[in-house]
Amino acid sequence: MNKEHSKAKKYGMVIDLDKCTGCGACMVACMAENNVPFKKDETNKLDSITWMRVYKLTNGKSFPNTEICYLPRPCMHCEGQHGHSPCVSVCPATATDYSQETGIVSQIYTRCFGCRYCMAACPYHARYFNWWDPVWPEGMEKSLNPKVSVRMRGIVEKCSFCFHRYQSAMEKAYYEERKELEEGEYQTACTQACPADAITFGDLNNPDHAVCQLKKSKNAFRLLERLGTNPKVYYVSTREWVRRSGDNYLRGYEKEGKVKKHRELAGH
Amino acid sequence: MDSALIPKGVRRCSFGQFILFIAIVGAVLLWGVFAMLLCWLKGLNQTNMNDYYGFALWIWADLAVIALGGGAFFSGFLKYIMGKDELKNIINYAVLIGFICYSSALLILAIDIGQPLRGWFIFWHANVHSMLTEVAFCLSCYFAVLTIEYIPLILENRQLDRVPFFHNLSHNMHEVMAVFAATGAFLSFFHQGSLGGVAGVLFGRPFAYREGIFIWPWTFFLFTWSAAACGPCFTIFVTWLTEKITRKKLVKDNVIELLAKISGWMLATYTFAKIIDTWYWAAVTAPSAGFWLPDFYSGNALYGPWILFLEIIICGVIPAFILVTDTGRKNRTTLMTAVILAVIGVCLNRWVMVLQVMAVPVMPFDKWVLYYPSWQEVATTILPVAYGVILIAISYRYLPIFPQEKELNPAD
Amino acid sequence: MKIGRRSFLSFVIGGAAGTALTPLPWKLTDDLSIWTQMWPWTPVPEDGEVSYTNSVCTLCPAGCGISVRKIEDRAVKIEGAEGYPASDGNACILGLSGLQLLYGPTRVRMPLKKENGKWKEISWDEAISQVVNKLSDLRSNDESPAVACISGSDYGTVPRLLRRFMTAYGSPNFMTVPSMQDSYALTLKLMHGVSALAGFDFENSNFVLSFGSGLIEGWGSSVRMFKAKSLWKEKGGKLVQVEQRLSNTAAKADQWVAVNPGTEAVLALGLANVIITQSLYDKAFVENHASGFDAFKKIVTGFSPDKVAKITGVEESAIISLAKAFAGASEPVAVCGRGQGKTPGSLHEFMAVHALNALVGNINKKGGVWAVPEPDYIKWPEPELDEVAQKGLATPRADGAGSEKYPDTKSLLNQFPKAVCAAEESPVKVLFVSGANPCYTLPGTKAVKEAFDKIPFVISFSSFMDETAQAADLILPNHGHLERYQDVPTPAALQNPLTGLAKPVVEPLFNTRHTGDVVIALAKGVGGSVADAFAWDSYEACLEETMGDNWDTLLEKGFVAQAFEPPGWDSAFTTSSGKFEFISQACMAESHQAAPGKIAIEGDNKKFPLILMPYDSIRLANGFIGNTPFLTKTLEDTILKGQDTVVQINPKTAKSRFIFLDDGDYAILSTPKGRVKVRVNLFEGVMPGVVAIPRGLGHTAYDDYLAGKGSNFNELISPVDDPVSGLDAAWGIRAKLTNVPL
Ligand SMILES: Nc1nc2c(c(=O)[nH]1)N[C@H]1C(S)=C(S)[C@@H](COP(=O)(O)OP(=O)(O)OC[C@H]3O[C@@H](n4cnc5c(=O)[nH]c(N)nc54)[C@H](O)[C@@H]3O)O[C@H]1N2
Ligand SMILES: Nc1nc2c(c(=O)[nH]1)N[C@H]1C(S)=C(S)[C@@H](COP(=O)(O)OP(=O)(O)OC[C@H]3O[C@@H](n4cnc5c(=O)[nH]c(N)nc54)[C@H](O)[C@@H]3O)O[C@H]1N2
Ligand code: SF4
Ligand code: SF4
Ligand code: SF4
Ligand code: SF4
Ligand code: SF4
Ligand SMILES: [Mo]
Repeated sequence: MNKEHSKAKKYGMVIDLDKCTGCGACMVACMAENNVPFKKDETNKLDSITWMRVYKLTNGKSFPNTEICYLPRPCMHCEGQHGHSPCVSVCPATATDYSQETGIVSQIYTRCFGCRYCMAACPYHARYFNWWDPVWPEGMEKSLNPKVSVRMRGIVEKCSFCFHRYQSAMEKAYYEERKELEEGEYQTACTQACPADAITFGDLNNPDHAVCQLKKSKNAFRLLERLGTNPKVYYVSTREWVRRSGDNYLRGYEKEGKVKKHRELAGH
Repeated sequence: MDSALIPKGVRRCSFGQFILFIAIVGAVLLWGVFAMLLCWLKGLNQTNMNDYYGFALWIWADLAVIALGGGAFFSGFLKYIMGKDELKNIINYAVLIGFICYSSALLILAIDIGQPLRGWFIFWHANVHSMLTEVAFCLSCYFAVLTIEYIPLILENRQLDRVPFFHNLSHNMHEVMAVFAATGAFLSFFHQGSLGGVAGVLFGRPFAYREGIFIWPWTFFLFTWSAAACGPCFTIFVTWLTEKITRKKLVKDNVIELLAKISGWMLATYTFAKIIDTWYWAAVTAPSAGFWLPDFYSGNALYGPWILFLEIIICGVIPAFILVTDTGRKNRTTLMTAVILAVIGVCLNRWVMVLQVMAVPVMPFDKWVLYYPSWQEVATTILPVAYGVILIAISYRYLPIFPQEKELNPAD
Repeated sequence: MKIGRRSFLSFVIGGAAGTALTPLPWKLTDDLSIWTQMWPWTPVPEDGEVSYTNSVCTLCPAGCGISVRKIEDRAVKIEGAEGYPASDGNACILGLSGLQLLYGPTRVRMPLKKENGKWKEISWDEAISQVVNKLSDLRSNDESPAVACISGSDYGTVPRLLRRFMTAYGSPNFMTVPSMQDSYALTLKLMHGVSALAGFDFENSNFVLSFGSGLIEGWGSSVRMFKAKSLWKEKGGKLVQVEQRLSNTAAKADQWVAVNPGTEAVLALGLANVIITQSLYDKAFVENHASGFDAFKKIVTGFSPDKVAKITGVEESAIISLAKAFAGASEPVAVCGRGQGKTPGSLHEFMAVHALNALVGNINKKGGVWAVPEPDYIKWPEPELDEVAQKGLATPRADGAGSEKYPDTKSLLNQFPKAVCAAEESPVKVLFVSGANPCYTLPGTKAVKEAFDKIPFVISFSSFMDETAQAADLILPNHGHLERYQDVPTPAALQNPLTGLAKPVVEPLFNTRHTGDVVIALAKGVGGSVADAFAWDSYEACLEETMGDNWDTLLEKGFVAQAFEPPGWDSAFTTSSGKFEFISQACMAESHQAAPGKIAIEGDNKKFPLILMPYDSIRLANGFIGNTPFLTKTLEDTILKGQDTVVQINPKTAKSRFIFLDDGDYAILSTPKGRVKVRVNLFEGVMPGVVAIPRGLGHTAYDDYLAGKGSNFNELISPVDDPVSGLDAAWGIRAKLTNVPL
């Protein structure tokens, strides 16, 4: 592909938390699409590989004023500053990389040697280590997707924004002698699976893509925005307590300006 | 039985006693080796680490032994570069302790990584932005330096020294040792720092993250500083322990006191810097990321404000005060108290920078997660201790580690 | 030998260079690098040509359109099929993980016969001839009613073939697994006078009042409900959820009304009271198309808001404003059927809720409840009955359905185990089970298992080794859901009639056979008039013939959607009055139960101070299909922790005079029916006094990914008979929690 002629993409997601029902279809679609392994006991959520994890948030009030909100969490594909996402900049073996072409944070399974520094760096717990050899009951390996490599014990994996789907779409476009993809041509498995239509995926740089408009909503926010991770996953909620749950709010630090200024001073 | 190997003019326990001692410690070592093999063959599921605790007990041990091994580079620096010649009487031991600490650190890393056979990717596919790359390079280079520093010591064994090749080799190495010591000191300043950088650059983890200058967060400098301050304390502590066990005086007081004095001043300045760092972090850095200091020290069963008090006041201010005063250093009890507190302090600091970092929830809806190690982790963490004890025992028995031993313990 | 500095250096450098120049280190490094990229035991999926096959998911009655991605002949991913009515492009979490069922270890791979408690492989011919011999023996002894059949559904060609077989053979004992659809069918029968299914025009409603229906927990056609919920959000429609627990539906609702357990019907009547007294009802409907309004009004007078407030625990003002909001909306609809709607309920509750719809006049109207005709595409000629069959069919049913006590109910599976257990010798000697797993899903599971033990010959058609298959004597495994043809009638609660066709996506993996073919083979084996009733060569031929002109469309598009307008009020009601009946004669006949009231649950409230209520989660399959490994993986640790069920209780419940429980603690949960060890999760979203337990755990069958995890709620409860229908009306059971003795 001629690099000069294709515009840099910044793929991202906008997740409407008012619509998300916590059904978990996105989690399973992701596991099925990406050959995520499963164990006999997955109730220890500290070692359960879920590229997409749906968190359950509560407003902390007592019965009957309790409220719940579900929050799906893929990898945020943090851009950081100039692509220095928290995880990419720390990986000693360059086994995870920020693509300036797509904005996708990749994970190179065959290069990762399992030091887990990237996991320590990721504040979203989006990275998972293969503590165990993946095992499929006899016969079940038939359902494995050949477009995504199966990961072995001892390495880290995470949501890839279904990068293989981008590759397939680009391949198709290439054969059709196109340089750009239509919005619908590259969609992630979780986006496709969500029956509530809560997830929208697209190029945040492209004003014609829905994500570009949705992220401008006054109810849009990102998780832990103030850390400077610069995530590409946006959330929308009309409920204030939900929006506040996206970041640790401190009095006197509410204003973006103050934080920003401080970060600039700190050299970010 | 092995008297031919033992240096001339010194007393050693009987061979039987020695073998019994080695056997007991060796059993512990084998237990550790067994656990290590389990981790290699069955994988890291043998540990209680998890996706929240990607770094746990080992990495703490790793950071701690490297800090404690800091006695080697700092004594070397003082002797060869600053010209503190008295330190030649303890430098051998400092090097040996350093060698043990660094070899242990590398061993731990080899067990810790999920794909040990790919460990070399860190060099082959090095990412220059990563602090861990810096650590890996400097650590390996410095270990090579320590090996070079340790080899002539081995060659000084009575029997080996009789072989002309070894004699000459040893002699040649001694001659160039200042170059290596300088290189070692330089490398050490860096990797001690980059170990601090490992935690300090984690801008996704406000508990660890520190601002800094250029590419280096303040923890970079604090780690080097604290290793320089507390490493020699550990050398003093182990020397004292060796003296207790062998029931012999091995190093003269003036040597110890000199090292203690320098450590004291390092510790005092370090503690001062640490206090400023903590204050700035608590008042500026953390709040900008959405955290007040108490958030880091409440809402869980283990990590309370006591940690800060213990680390900075009890294990920082107090030992620094003791070590900078003449009376504090002259009195064995206060000296050893201060030295032990300093050692605890630096270990606690490394603990906090590894494990508390993982425990503190960052997402507002996340919870504190505590962790306890599995027996395999404990065994593999004790493994280097056993290995160190054995290496010290053998080296002490067969090598002229302590130049003042003969003088202080004239044979009858 | 003297070594100078120079020779020392050359020694070191030379040694290093020498080693590096040999191929050894490089070869080793390269090998290492390759070997560590992928260990031989880590599977590498084979690549190949990609294709997609569309079908319909039959893992639950929702029948969603699916598109299966294949690599050569392997199915690798299930997705929703675009353009399929109702589910349009989506499938639920269970459907998405369907390949784990297809390729999973729980499949029954060939016919199995139990001998001395052990499974033995047996050939199809042998298996069928054994069943035929048994059936022929019974028939020649005039014992045809001793054969019974449990079917997961009443609709579709396979259930109808089974039913036809029973009829031709001469047994009245064809039973179906009950659900809220049975209660709704009865409600429509009594209030509208029609045999119809309840459909809800949710897409056009703008105020949905749900009495405990888990609308986004898997109720009705679940995917369609998720879409409807998002549609309400987009269009500004309101959802009010009446429930004891902050379920996902309650959490997503605009208003959550926590009523005291079991007082839903009372609340409905209270709302009716406000609507009537404030004259908010639809006069055009009530005056011209309804009968019994005055009697209803009289009953409702007893349910004034203040009284209802006391019973339900909902504030009087809240009741009044809710009634006003409901009646004031342009397209309101009230709905019931708890949780996923997999259980029937109190008929009075259904009728009280349905009466609300009548009051606001949204019956057979846009955005309201529609009486949707039962699927009628199966138009087989009535079978000729020989003498044995005629005699057999004239005997009363084993489950008591259609008896004098329950004249309007078609099937009462819940009464069946009782009947078998009570008799000295089981009245049923051969039992077929298809598309159902009663040994797990029926409340009072212990009695069900006891009944199954007593029945001499149980034949399961299950594709999976489920609890019922385990309890059977013979398994005649059906093809997997992606290996077979199957017609899919209108999904539950859909307002537009729809017929879908599931078709084979992959060749059958094992030595299984389509249940339709097996039924035909059995009929042919029995011979005579029974064989004559099954003139088809194969199930596929039968299906094709049944579908007639639609067959090609079904093969091509996967579905046939009928254009449907519900009949207007003038022609909608076929009751004796020709109008909507607020008060049914059937209920009047019931001794003192003219006024709908509370269904009492089992247990003494002194001994059992708490109330145990089940809840459904879309991530936990609780029907005849068990959870897949993926599904179980998504369960939060507040549902399942290790091997233990986690029950949810309010923190207030956790700290009473008798117990002190912290979050995550173990506790003993006991009901009059059983005792299990559980863990507790303290959750503010549960009403104090209520213990909420997830449904779908506690399987003893299936694989290690499911078996032995948690406890089955159905073992802690037993059915409570609805006085009118005889269906199970239990919505909970009294219970207590105690600390685990140290
Ligand atoms: N892995 C990794 N990724 C990174 C970074 C990293 O450190 N590691 N750093 C990040 C940072 S800080 C930055 S700023 C970005 C930079 O990323 P890019 O913006 O991609 O920068 P380059 O690839 O250096 O240059 C862009 C293009 O400009 C063309 N070019 C050069 N001169 C001219 C000119 O005069 N006119 C025109 N029209 N084109 C010209 C070059 O040929 C090249 O194709 O990369 C980011 N990405
Ligand atoms: N030859 C050449 N030179 C270039 C460029 C080029 O394309 N070619 N590009 C130029 C451009 S555009 C740029 S932006 C600069 C970039 O140059 P630099 O600013 O030097 O950026 P990096 O080298 O990417 O990374 C800086 C260091 O920050 C560390 N680090 C990562 N995260 C953190 C953190 O949270 N805190 C702290 N304190 N440190 C952290 C990393 O480990 C790394 O060591 O280089 C410029 N120089
Ligand atoms: S599939 Fe959609 S509705 Fe379901 S949990 Fe995921 S984002 Fe939420
Ligand atoms: S979410 Fe975590 S893993 Fe993903 S890019 Fe950000 S830091 Fe990296
Ligand atoms: S675990 Fe793998 S991806 Fe993560 S930092 Fe280490 S080598 Fe890089
Ligand atoms: S984008 Fe793809 S990889 Fe990421 S969570 Fe969604 S389905 Fe999984
Ligand atoms: S709702 Fe039922 S039919 Fe639809 S995908 Fe899920 S299991 Fe299959
Ligand atoms: Mo840059």
